Amino acid sequence: MESLNSDDDRARFSTVVLPYLGDAYALARWLTGDRADAEDVVQEACLRAFRGIGGFAGINARAWLLTIVRHAAYTWLAKNRSASLLVVEDLEAVEQQQASAAAAFGQDAQTPEAALIAKADTRRLESAIAELPVPFRETLVLRDVQGLDYREIAEVTKVPIGTVMSRLARARRRLIERIATDEAKGGS
Amino acid sequence: MTPPTTDPRLLVHAYLDGELDPANALDVERQLADDPALAAERERIEALRRVIAERLPRESPPPGLARRIEATLGLRPAAARTASHPSWRALAASVAVAAFLGSGGTWLALSPGPADADMIVANHMRALMAPQPVDVGSSDRHTVKPWFNGRIPEAPRVVDLASEGFPLVGGRVDVIGRTPVPTLVYRRRQHLISLSEAPAGRTAAMPPGQIAGYNIVSWTDNGVTYWAVSDVAAADLNAFANAFRAASPEP
Repeated sequence: MESLNSDDDRARFSTVVLPYLGDAYALARWLTGDRADAEDVVQEACLRAFRGIGGFAGINARAWLLTIVRHAAYTWLAKNRSASLLVVEDLEAVEQQQASAAAAFGQDAQTPEAALIAKADTRRLESAIAELPVPFRETLVLRDVQGLDYREIAEVTKVPIGTVMSRLARARRRLIERIATDEAKGGS
Repeated sequence: MTPPTTDPRLLVHAYLDGELDPANALDVERQLADDPALAAERERIEALRRVIAERLPRESPPPGLARRIEATLGLRPAAARTASHPSWRALAASVAVAAFLGSGGTWLALSPGPADADMIVANHMRALMAPQPVDVGSSDRHTVKPWFNGRIPEAPRVVDLASEGFPLVGGRVDVIGRTPVPTLVYRRRQHLISLSEAPAGRTAAMPPGQIAGYNIVSWTDNGVTYWAVSDVAAADLNAFANAFRAASPEP
C-alpha cells in the first residue's frame, strides 16, 4: 500500500486530512454511537482517503473527508447494525404524511416553550439525537454540531439542498417534540 | 441561496442558518412579524440550536489517534521500527516527514517581520473599503466560530467582549502571504478593530506601532500570534488587546 503513494501524497495527506481528524471523529461517533467503533471507522476512512488523495480536487478538504467518513460509517453500519439503516425514501414518505396530518404546527400537542428547550438535559438531548434515524441525524449533526453549511451537507450526504433543508427541519422538529415528551413524563 | 421551497416552516430554518439571500431573508422576516405561530417556532429552533451548541461541544478524538493513523499509513515510523536498520532512503524519507510534521504543516518558510504587519494593515484597509468588513456578520460567537470550520484548518478563539465595550461584529478570512488566517472584527464606538490569528511559526509579534495611520498591536499566546489593527487610539487598542487576552476561554 505504501508503495502506491509518493512522498508528495504523504505530505498532502498531512495537510488535507489530518487537520480535520476531529471533524471525522465527531461524525463517526454520532453515526456509530460508540467511541471505539468511531475510531475504527475513522481509521478505515483515513486509509481510503490516503489511497484516494491523488483524486482530491483541492477545494473543500473537510467536506471531502467527511464524505469518505460517512461512506465508511455506512459500510460499518451495514455490516454491524443493518437494522439502523432504514430505507430513506420510506422514512421520508411517512414523515411527509405525518407533517400534512398535523394541520398547523402552532397547535401541535408537543410544542414546548423555548425556555423549556433551553433547559434541556444534556444526556437526554444526546440520546434524543442518537435515536434520530440516520439521515436526519447526520444532517442535524453536520449542521448544528459541526457547523457545515447546506451546500457542504448536500455534498457530503449526496442529496439536493432541498432535501437537506427538509431533513434538518424534521430532525430539529423531532428533537423539540422529544424534549416536550420528556418534560411531560416528569422531567429528570 | 434561492430556496427550493416556499414553505415558511422550512425557510425559517434556512433563515436562522444564514442560508437565505437578503430578499428571501426579508420575506421570512415579514412572515415572522405577521405570524405569531411561526415566530414561536423560530424561538424554539433558536433555543434548540443554542442548547446543542452549548451542551454538545464537539468531542475531541482520542489522544494518539492521529499518531496511530500516521503509523498505519507509514507516515511516521512506528516505535518498534526504530530498532531495525532502516535503509538510508527510508531514513531520509522519515526525516523529511518528521521535519514536515515538526514545522506544523507550514512547509513554506516565509520570513516573518514588518512585511506581515504591512499585510495585516492592508487586509484591514481593504475590509473597511468593502461593502461590509466581514464575511459572516454576527455578534453571536456561536455563529461566528463555526463559520470558520471548513474554510481554515483551525477555528479561531472567539470571545465575547461586549461588556468591555468591544461588541463582536463578525469574522472573515484574510490572507497573510499565502496563509489564510481567521480575522475577527470587533467594534469600539464607530471604529472597527480587526483581530487576525496566525500560527506563531508563521508570523512573529512585534512591538506596538503605527502603519499608515493605523495602530497595530501584536502578541503571542499558546502558539498563536494575534494581530490587532484599528484606527482607534493606541490606548483603546491596548485595552482591547488586554480584554481579549484576559477573557476566559470559551465554554
